[in-house]
Amino acid sequence: MPDSIEERELVERAKRDPEAFGALYDRYFPQIYRFAYSRVRDQSLAEDVTSEVFFKALKNINRYSYGGHPFSSWLYQITLNAVADHYRGQRGEVELEEGSDMASREPAVLDEVVRRDRSRRVWSAIDQLPKQQRAAMVLKFGEDRKIDEIAVILGKSSGAVKLLLHRGVERLRRELPQGEAELGTP
Amino acid sequence: MMDDPELRELFSDPADREVIDLLYTSRPAAPPLDPHFRSYLRAKLMAQARETLAAPTRRRWFQLGPLGMAPAMAAVAAGFIIVLGVEAYLHVQPAASPPVAADIHAIDQKRDVATAEPIQIPFSGPVDKTAVEESIVMQPATSFTKHWDGQTLVITPAHPLAPSTTYKVTLQPKAVPPSQPAATAPPVQRPVVVHFLTAPAPVPPVVPPSFKSGSITYGYDNRIPDSSRLSNPTWTPDGQLLVTRPADPPSPAASTSASAGPTATPAATGSASTNVWLMSTQGTLIRNLAPGGSYPSVAPSGGLFADWSEISDHATLEVRDLQGNVQAAAVATISSRPDRAAVWLGPSRLAYLSEGLLKVVDLHGTLIATPAIKVTGAMSASRAGLQLAMVTDAGPVVMDLSTMNTTVLPAGATGFSWSPNGQLAFSIGRVAGSDLYTGVDPKSARKVAGSAAGETWSDLNWSPDSASILLASHSGSGADSHVRLLLVNADGSAPTGFGSNQRDYANPLWSPRGDLVLFSRPDEAGGISLWTAKATVGQPSAADNAESQALAEVDKFMQARIKGDLSGAQAELDAAAQQAYKNGASSLLSPGAQFARYYPVSVQLAGPNKFLIGARLFIARNNVETSFFEEQLTVVLQDQRYLMDAVTATPTVPLGHGPNVVSVEVRQNGSTQQILVRFDSDLKPETVSADTILVKDNQGSPVKTRVSFDPDGHLVTLDVKLKTGTYSMVVTTGVADINGTQVAQAYTTPLVIGG
Repeated sequence: MPDSIEERELVERAKRDPEAFGALYDRYFPQIYRFAYSRVRDQSLAEDVTSEVFFKALKNINRYSYGGHPFSSWLYQITLNAVADHYRGQRGEVELEEGSDMASREPAVLDEVVRRDRSRRVWSAIDQLPKQQRAAMVLKFGEDRKIDEIAVILGKSSGAVKLLLHRGVERLRRELPQGEAELGTP
Repeated sequence: MMDDPELRELFSDPADREVIDLLYTSRPAAPPLDPHFRSYLRAKLMAQARETLAAPTRRRWFQLGPLGMAPAMAAVAAGFIIVLGVEAYLHVQPAASPPVAADIHAIDQKRDVATAEPIQIPFSGPVDKTAVEESIVMQPATSFTKHWDGQTLVITPAHPLAPSTTYKVTLQPKAVPPSQPAATAPPVQRPVVVHFLTAPAPVPPVVPPSFKSGSITYGYDNRIPDSSRLSNPTWTPDGQLLVTRPADPPSPAASTSASAGPTATPAATGSASTNVWLMSTQGTLIRNLAPGGSYPSVAPSGGLFADWSEISDHATLEVRDLQGNVQAAAVATISSRPDRAAVWLGPSRLAYLSEGLLKVVDLHGTLIATPAIKVTGAMSASRAGLQLAMVTDAGPVVMDLSTMNTTVLPAGATGFSWSPNGQLAFSIGRVAGSDLYTGVDPKSARKVAGSAAGETWSDLNWSPDSASILLASHSGSGADSHVRLLLVNADGSAPTGFGSNQRDYANPLWSPRGDLVLFSRPDEAGGISLWTAKATVGQPSAADNAESQALAEVDKFMQARIKGDLSGAQAELDAAAQQAYKNGASSLLSPGAQFARYYPVSVQLAGPNKFLIGARLFIARNNVETSFFEEQLTVVLQDQRYLMDAVTATPTVPLGHGPNVVSVEVRQNGSTQQILVRFDSDLKPETVSADTILVKDNQGSPVKTRVSFDPDGHLVTLDVKLKTGTYSMVVTTGVADINGTQVAQAYTTPLVIGG
C-alpha cells in the first residue's frame, strides 16, 4: 500500500503536473486493468474500460479530494461506473438480484464448476453472484481492499459490505460441490 | 485469510474460512494484457494531460555536476533496476550562477517505454550543444539522429528500439556560463545516469489467428496529432508510417533580410513545399526522409520507398532507403506535377504515369517497353509485381508484366486491391449499389457480394492473411452522406461492420502485422485527421489458450525466483524438474545477487500439451543489471496444470558486450519455415550471413539457409525447409554491431519443427 501522505502529495501534484498524473497511471494501471478484466472477462472490453477510467480520472482530478481513503478507491468507483455504463442498455446481460437462487437461475454452473480446474471453479462461481456481491468479493479477495474502502467504492456502509461478503461466501459455500474447499486446500 | 483481521472478525465458521482460503489460494492468474496497450494508453493520456492540466509543470531538474549524482545514486539505493543509462557530464558552474541541470524525470527509470519514440532531455541552461551531441553513445549499439528543440536535446533512434532491452546512453555536455564563450568552458567532471526499460513485445501465438470478418474486433482508436496536414500515408514493413507533410515556413530567425515578404514562400522561391516523413503511429515525426518529396510508396521488400521530388516545372522519381539515403536518383522525370504515387512492381521496377501514359522503369532508370496505355483511374500491382490492374481509357484491365498482355476486366471495375497471396479484389458500381469481385486469376474473378441499395463500396484493403477485405461503404448524399467500414470475407460472406456506425471513415489500411488499421475521419474542428484503431483478431485457438496457461505458470515461476521465494518457485516444478535443478542444470535463486527481471525469448509447441519456452533471466548486483542467462524450460500439462518438467541453461553473458538476440520465432509456411531472429543492436549488415547465423540438424551439420536482414527491426530472417525434428539455431561471434563489437559468445537455441 503506498504511503498515504506521499500519495496525497502525488495526487495534488497531478492536478497540475502531467508527469505526476503519469506516475499515478503507472502506479494504478495494473490493478485497475485487472479489476476491469475481472468484471468484463474480455481483454478488449477491459482495455476500453481501463482507458475510460483514466481519461475520466484525468478530466475530473481537480474535483477529487482526499476523504481518508486511498486514491485507488476513487479509481475503483469510476471503474464500476464505467462497467455499468458499458452494460447499460446491452441486451443479454442479466444481473442476478440480491437473494436470487444462483443454482436455480444458472443450472449449468454446477456442471461447469465440476469440470473446470479448481481455481477457475471458485472464481467462476463468483462471476455468477449478484453484481454488488461480486464487486465486494472481487475487491476483498482479489484486490485486498479494506472493508471501509469497499464501502466507499460501492457507496454503501461498512456494515452493508460485511453483509455482502458474508452472503457471498455463504453462497459459494452452498453452491460449490461438497469437498470443494478440501480439494482447494494445498 | 487469518492474516486479515477484518475477515477473522467476520468469519468464524471453519467452513466459511475454508472457502476463503480457497479463494486466496486460487486467485486467477494475471489477465491477458497486450503489452503495447499500457504504453499506448499512457501516451494518449499524457498528451491529453499536457493539454488540459493548466498550470505549468514543475520539473524535477537533475543537476549536473558533483551534486548531480545524488538523485541517481539514491534511486539505485532505493531499489530501481538500471536498464538504460544516460550519463551526462558537466563542469562545475561558478558559485554565482545556478548549475545547469538536465531534466531526466520523464525518462529516468521508466518501464514500458515505447520503442519508437524519441528520447528528450531538456536542459535548464545553456550547454555546448555541439559537444553534447558529439558525446552521445548508446548501448546496445544504436544509430540515431539528434537535434535541439530549444534547450531540449532530442535523440531519435534510427530504428525502433528493441523490446525488453537494456540500453545505455552516455552524454558529455559542457555547460556554457552565460558570460563565458563555449570554447573556454571548464573541464568535464561528473556523470549523471538515467535509466529506462523498453516495452516488451507480445508473445506471438503458436497458431496465427484468422482475419475472418466475424472474428475481428474494433478496439480503441487514436487520432494522430496534427494529422490534418498529412497526406498519402502508407505503412512501412516495420509498422511505422510514411507521410507527405507540408514543409514548415522558415522561422523569422532564418529569414535573410527584411525584404523576405509574404510572397517569399518556400514554393515561390523554389524551395521544398512538402517533405516525406517517417512517423510513428503515435504521430511522432521521426525523420524527414525526403526533403521536397511527396507521394511516397513503399517497396514490397528491401526497406526502400519511392517518392516524387518536384523541381520547378518538372518532377523526378527517386528511390530512398528508410534512413533517407538516396538509392536511385532521378529514376524517371515527368513534366508535370505528380498526382499519385508510383507503383512498385516487385522489388526492382516501378510503374508511373507520364502525361497519363503508363511507364515502367527499373531502378537504374531504364524504361521497359510497354504498350501505349492511357491510364484514367486506379492502378495497383500484385505483391510479386507480376500483374498490374488499372483503369484505362479502354476500360479496366490487368496487365501481365512478363508478357505485357492485358486481360479485360468487367466494365466499371475499380478500387483494385491485391491480397498477400495474389488474389485480386475490385468493386463495380451499379445503379443502386456496388458489387464486390474477387479472384485468384483476374479472368475468373467473380462477384462475391453486393451492397445494400443506396450504398457504394470503395477503398478495398485486404487483411494481412488474405482472409477478408476491409472497405468503406458510402450511403446517402450531401449533408446526409455517411461512410462506415465493413469487413467482408474473401468469399463475400459475413459482411460485418467495423467501428462505430456514427462516424465517417475512409481509406482503411491494415498495418503489416494486422494489429492496427489506419484510416481517415473527420475531426471535431471540421478537418480530416488520420486515426489508428487497434484491431483484436480472432478467438485464441486451443493451442494459444494452452500457450497462455503455460506462459502464466512460467511467469509465476519466474516471479517467485525474482522475489527470492524458493518454495513458490519449487511449487511450479514437477519431480523431474526439481531433480534437474538439484543436479545443477540451473539455479533456482541467485546466490550473492538477485534476479531482476525476465522475459520469454521463444515459445515453441513441442508436442501435445507441451511447450519449449526460452526465458531470459537478468542478474542484478546492487540493483544494477550486470548479466543474463537463458533457460530452456520444457513445460508440460500435468493434472490440469502446466509445470516445469525439464530445464537447460546457458552460461551467463555480461551485459554491454556486443549484440544479443532478444527473440526467436519459428513460423511454419506450408512445408517451409521462417525463423525470425531479432537483435537488440543495430548490426553491421555485412556480418549477417548464412556463415554467421546457422541452422544445424541434430547431428550438428549446417542446413541450407537463405538469410535476409531488415535493419529497421534488427531482424534476421532465415528461410529454411526442415523436416520434422529438432534443430538448433546458432548465432556465431561473427555477427557484429555497427560499432564493430562482436557477439560476446555464440548463442544457440533449439528449434522444434512439427512438434
